[in-house]
Amino acid sequence: MILSDKVTTRILSKKAFFLLLSISFLAIPVSSKAQNLRDTLSLPEFEIKSSFIIDNHGFKRVKMDSGLFIPNLNADLSAILSQHSSIFIKSYGNGTLATPSFRGTSAQHTQVEWNGINLNSPMLGQMDFSQVPVAQFDGLEILYGAAGISRTSGAFGGVIDLVTKPDWNNRFKILVAQSMASFNNYITNINVALGGRSFQSHTKFNYASALNDFPFTNNTGDVAHQQNASYTQSGLSQELFWKVKDKHLFSGKIWYSQDDRNLPPTTQNFDSIKTETLKDKALRAVVEYKYIEPKWNLLVRSALNDQYMKYTNSLLEINSTHQFYSWINRIRFSYSGIPGLAVKPGVDFTYDWVDSDEYEGIKTRTTTSFFAEIIYDFTPRVKSSLVLREDLIDGKFIPLIPALGLEYKPFNKINLAFSSNLARNYRYPTLNELYWKDAGNPDLKPEMNYSLEAGSTYHFGPKKNQFYLEASLAAYYSWIYDMITWSPVDGSGGLFKPENIDEIHARGIELGLNLNLTAWGFAFELRNNYNFCRSTYEKASSAYDNKIGHQQFYIPVNTFNSTFSMERWKFYFTWNFTYTGDRYTGKDNLSVMPAYHLSNIIFGKTFDVKHFILSLQLDINNLFNLDYQSVASRPMPGINYAITVKLAFSGLSRR
Amino acid sequence: MKKNTFSHISAFTILCSFFALSILYTSCSKEPIREKIITPEDTLKATTYENGIFVVNEGNYNWGNASVTFLDNKSNTVVQDIFNKSNNRSLGDVAESMTIAGNLGYLLMNNSNRIEVVSLKDFKSVKSIDGLHSPRYLQVVDSNKAYTTNLQNSISIINLHTNTVTGTIETTSWTENLIRYDKYMLVTSIGSFNEPSAVRKAQILVIDTETDAIVDSIQSGKEPIGIVIDKKQKVWVLCSGGYDNFEAPSLLRINPELRIIEKVFTFPDPRAVPSRLCMNPSGDTIYYLKGGVYQMPVTSAELPSKPLINADGRLFYGLNIHPATGSIYVSDAKDYVQNGTAYQYSVRGKLIKEYTTGRIPGSFCFTKNSSK
Repeated sequence: MILSDKVTTRILSKKAFFLLLSISFLAIPVSSKAQNLRDTLSLPEFEIKSSFIIDNHGFKRVKMDSGLFIPNLNADLSAILSQHSSIFIKSYGNGTLATPSFRGTSAQHTQVEWNGINLNSPMLGQMDFSQVPVAQFDGLEILYGAAGISRTSGAFGGVIDLVTKPDWNNRFKILVAQSMASFNNYITNINVALGGRSFQSHTKFNYASALNDFPFTNNTGDVAHQQNASYTQSGLSQELFWKVKDKHLFSGKIWYSQDDRNLPPTTQNFDSIKTETLKDKALRAVVEYKYIEPKWNLLVRSALNDQYMKYTNSLLEINSTHQFYSWINRIRFSYSGIPGLAVKPGVDFTYDWVDSDEYEGIKTRTTTSFFAEIIYDFTPRVKSSLVLREDLIDGKFIPLIPALGLEYKPFNKINLAFSSNLARNYRYPTLNELYWKDAGNPDLKPEMNYSLEAGSTYHFGPKKNQFYLEASLAAYYSWIYDMITWSPVDGSGGLFKPENIDEIHARGIELGLNLNLTAWGFAFELRNNYNFCRSTYEKASSAYDNKIGHQQFYIPVNTFNSTFSMERWKFYFTWNFTYTGDRYTGKDNLSVMPAYHLSNIIFGKTFDVKHFILSLQLDINNLFNLDYQSVASRPMPGINYAITVKLAFSGLSRR
Repeated sequence: MKKNTFSHISAFTILCSFFALSILYTSCSKEPIREKIITPEDTLKATTYENGIFVVNEGNYNWGNASVTFLDNKSNTVVQDIFNKSNNRSLGDVAESMTIAGNLGYLLMNNSNRIEVVSLKDFKSVKSIDGLHSPRYLQVVDSNKAYTTNLQNSISIINLHTNTVTGTIETTSWTENLIRYDKYMLVTSIGSFNEPSAVRKAQILVIDTETDAIVDSIQSGKEPIGIVIDKKQKVWVLCSGGYDNFEAPSLLRINPELRIIEKVFTFPDPRAVPSRLCMNPSGDTIYYLKGGVYQMPVTSAELPSKPLINADGRLFYGLNIHPATGSIYVSDAKDYVQNGTAYQYSVRGKLIKEYTTGRIPGSFCFTKNSSK
């Protein structure tokens, strides 16, 4: 306890420093009409027309904007997605590993991009969503299934693109937010945006520290406290945007983040001697140039993703470090000079370099991708797009990746569109799957995927009016062959080796329904996502294997989330409800983590004081204090609270 | 202005409370959300566990789903997860092995770092012994004490009356299996857990059970994982050759009196790794797994070239020989992510029965009078 008090004191003094720093910033006298807090950070160029978009004619895309992020500034990507999208997040607890399952696929089948550059580790092929703070980006786009082929190969589930964008009207903005939450969790965010009509700078800082010592009911029914679960997370990013005559657009972005985590034991570990820690450092940098002409444009981008990871386990005497960098380059050209036709060829070049204690020697990989997208409008109502991708990995071509999409809008006055697409995709093995010491399998084949999708979107009423409704329906069927599965090696007593074993059929339905209503001075919003997904094993490893036709373990068949928000008199209230269906814990579907539902509420008020906007917010998570585990033997906290104070300043904004 | 704000606050708060209350109805489930087993035969309960066979299901590392399946051949019943049924809590993480001493069962919970002591009468927990370092196997020395090997640092001495750790024998390395010979305990020692095989010092430690001191050691092949004793008091040690296939696996015959290796049988393929060395009740036949189940008379001049029981695509993981009948019990752990199967074969390798088990069945434990 003495230790925890010390930690708290130190954190508090750090907070005081930030507050002081921010006040000195704010002392600059300026004159401008203060705006609503949401507007202060919303970005006009990130225009919200509809959340449900048919991308490139026939491919599904969903946008989430800053309106959602501002009240959730202290959250991470895993929370945002599990509460507001149809992607299932398997979370081992607050601040610990959170991995996605998108359309019944594995974590390696979801690609996370930051401003178009891949953040997935080339070693693991996946991303830990708990390490991505919402405060570091302004919006995100979810590219479903084959829509991801326009970005990368292998993302059978889809792509999540974290976007940061400049606001050319901005002159000076600052936001300081401080959250204090249960279990000694503290989060600080500072955003500073400044610039002019042709130059913008955006600085974002986030710092979180958590003791995370929440109480839970253990195996014997007694109350225990989570041990060894503290963490700190910090990040600093700087973005520069420079525009010349609306023709040349230069940008440079750099984002450094550092995570120091203690990994908590499961509810079934009873030892005092074990400590497990994970330290991550990541530096991502990207420079980009866009040349824009009415009929054609050019994009050139070069990026670096450099990461360092250190894992220690005192019990198993493991102390291993992994260092990798990826150099990611992209050239895209777009020509739309012929009416009804657009052609977008491009080349991507990626170089991965890994130095890991668990590999024998340094491993590298070069990936060259040739890419072309052809968009053709048969009639103004029937449009099509064809995406072709050819990956050349370490000098070897993997088979062609094609995707064909069709879009049909039957009516002129009704915003109803039907879309459909089919695609073939390949995922090349990750470097761990190929080279992990004593387990990696260099003979692995790439995984192959065929997918088919059909859907429709409908929206009614302009968004700013009294009533707005949008609905989306999508159905998909996806076949994964030669799926790489880590399987036990005979006689080794616990050694696993990746092999092309499983065949998976994933099919499902996604429903989205959003409603906005303005009445009696109230602004109401209701957003719903329902997801049905059957993702089953279709090939037995032997006659004794009992998995055929069974749901993949830890992938729920049903998930639903609903968010109700209302605003009036500068009060805001949000109630988020998440239902997570049964997740089987074995391939034979004979053991299960039962379904549960959680409610989280956010209640806040903003005050306008001249150029400043002050916001006070109370979050209540797990409102009904449900005693639950999402992953077996990983405790989850009961009801918990967060208080957030936000101070925003917006000056000299040109509207 | 102020008044107005105040009324707004109350109006908005009332609205919010209304919504909060309206959803209270939907949140009636007060039962904790925990993993549930939905095996059909799960409703079965045995009246007593004094006569039968325990299948120890390791469960997945860090999943906390270890369990014990009880087989009663006489009444032909299989009861799953008997620890949970008797104690209303899950067994723990990675059940490595079970040993019976008197009328108590000792379950070595590797990743829970404890030994669960249960009464064989009803499988109710008698004691949870903490303070171990990833326990592996337990061997009874006499009616007063037992030794427990650990993944790290030491061999623990357990007092069988108080069921407490009364002392340790420092070893600085991972100790695995153990067998009694005369007044000595022979313990296989693998080396430091995180070292590569090339560096590891593999040996058989000789411990004087009267003084609890290591009195001697015998060099062995890499990663000695199994140790048994035959009717002529020769000790047999199975070496896997190392997790990284450092050297060819080997089977050693040791003269425990002279503490020398008398004979080395080398396995031909370093990647076909043998495991689970067992001895039949009459002490004249050795069994082990290497894909299939192999049978070898102790008098044999060479290793058997063909298995007695073919794996046929199964992942044989646990093996033991019935102490009375000599029946072969072997388990299929499948792909580790589904329930396993236990098979009973005759001495000649003929299938007698099969049973569904829990996750990753790794070892068998027989009661004194376990039915045939």
